[in-house]
Amino acid sequence: MIVLWHYLAVAAALFGIGLVGFLTRRNLITMFLCAEMMLQGVAINFVAFARYHGNLHGQVFVLFILAVAACEAGVALALFLMLYRRRKSLDVSGWQELREVGVPPSLDADPLVSVPQTPDPVLTPAGGRPAPTAEDAVRV
Amino acid sequence: MMLFATTPNPLVAGQIALAALLAAAGFFLLLPKPRVRSVAGGTAAVVAALAVFGAWLYQAFGRPMPDLVGTVLFVLFSAGALGFGTVLAVQRNPARGAIAFAFVVLSTCGLFLLLAAPFLMAATVIIYAGAIIVTFLFVLMLSQSAGPSDENDRTREPLLGSLAGFAFVGLILFTLYQTQQSVGAAESAGGALSAPAALLPAPVMTPGEAAALDDATTQLRRLEDDAFYGDPAAVGTSRQERMEFVGGIERTLDGVAGVSPGKEHGTIGDGSVHGRLAAYRTDTQAKAVLERVGRVRELSRSALDKVELTITDPAKGKPDEAKAEVAKLREQVQLLRGAGELPARNVANLGLLLYADHLLAVELAGTLLLVATIGAIAIAHRRGVAA
Repeated sequence: MIVLWHYLAVAAALFGIGLVGFLTRRNLITMFLCAEMMLQGVAINFVAFARYHGNLHGQVFVLFILAVAACEAGVALALFLMLYRRRKSLDVSGWQELREVGVPPSLDADPLVSVPQTPDPVLTPAGGRPAPTAEDAVRV
Repeated sequence: MMLFATTPNPLVAGQIALAALLAAAGFFLLLPKPRVRSVAGGTAAVVAALAVFGAWLYQAFGRPMPDLVGTVLFVLFSAGALGFGTVLAVQRNPARGAIAFAFVVLSTCGLFLLLAAPFLMAATVIIYAGAIIVTFLFVLMLSQSAGPSDENDRTREPLLGSLAGFAFVGLILFTLYQTQQSVGAAESAGGALSAPAALLPAPVMTPGEAAALDDATTQLRRLEDDAFYGDPAAVGTSRQERMEFVGGIERTLDGVAGVSPGKEHGTIGDGSVHGRLAAYRTDTQAKAVLERVGRVRELSRSALDKVELTITDPAKGKPDEAKAEVAKLREQVQLLRGAGELPARNVANLGLLLYADHLLAVELAGTLLLVATIGAIAIAHRRGVAA
């Protein structure tokens, strides 16, 4: 029998995964998705308590969470667009001059490893290239 | 050390700590970074953490499983949510992360459905379908680096971040366990309800009361029958027997819902539900149940009086009116029997609650959406550049 505690535990774990992602990732879009995932964890809590108490106030609260998440998404994506226009990058660490006074900057010590990519195979053209006709210029 | 001194079972704290450590180690290995990244090792650690977490859930809160389908669905949906959530948090490619997030949302919607929230499930699917597509657009527009990049292949403080996050989760789980222990102890000491704690939905009626209300419902059905009010010779029961029958129903309802003070020969008293819930005056759920009890009490007085009048004095009584009243009473008794369950018409009741109890909040949410729209336009506007 699944009781209230199971739902609360799963919601806490979902919130925690989102929290770790938000704390550690550097891509703005991934951070945004992780924050949305934390909201999902909270919503599970509310809906489980609504079922437990036999009234719909918890579900109403989740509706408001959805509204606030939509506002957050709109403003956050507009901000990402502005930040990207300035730096041409989605990296949050590109904005670390906004940090507190006296905190040393975080530097990336290890160089990025680029995976060697095999180029796509190219077929040798078979036959001769057709001679351009008068129609080709019109077609293109 | 008071925190751990109250724990009856030290194994539980160890299990939570093990799960949190395994999850933190797995996330540390899985998070993208130039050195020490091991997808296989990290996946193994995260799966082991999930297994320990599941074992802890079963041991701490698990009961024998009568509801097999519900349990299987719960396990599927929660494992899906947690698994795809992990993929989202450690995925290098943000487009794949958005797909994983879509699956997290779908799994959460499954959990909503298990919790009797069909409207929220539909609303979440609809809203996040749009949100995920917009996220995709942003990934396509802004994040098209072919090779490795700082934002996707590096992580801020992977070890400290995962340790902090999962220490937080472990503490929440430990608090849940302690709360459950204390609630269980209080309930077994009080002995009010023999049912285990935190059943979904919470049991409001005791089994005895539920059985009494079921009996009353079947007996009331007989009062709605035309034959009950016919000629004694044709019905086959004497007037006396029928009066006894009505009296029996009255006593059953009085035992649960209480005796009305206005009754002629009755004493002023409370039924068992009232006696149990009267202490929780401020609780919304208890208040709703007590309201239903009051309605049953009022209706039972008027309806059963009419039935008695019809039986004793067929010339004056009106069987149709009596039957209509009895039907109303039976509905109320059934509603009282189902107290504690969510209403079946989810959307209608949500709408009623939104516009009856939370009207100001609805207006504020609308204002917030408007302000956010204006803010997003103002932020993203290109100043000084002609369109």
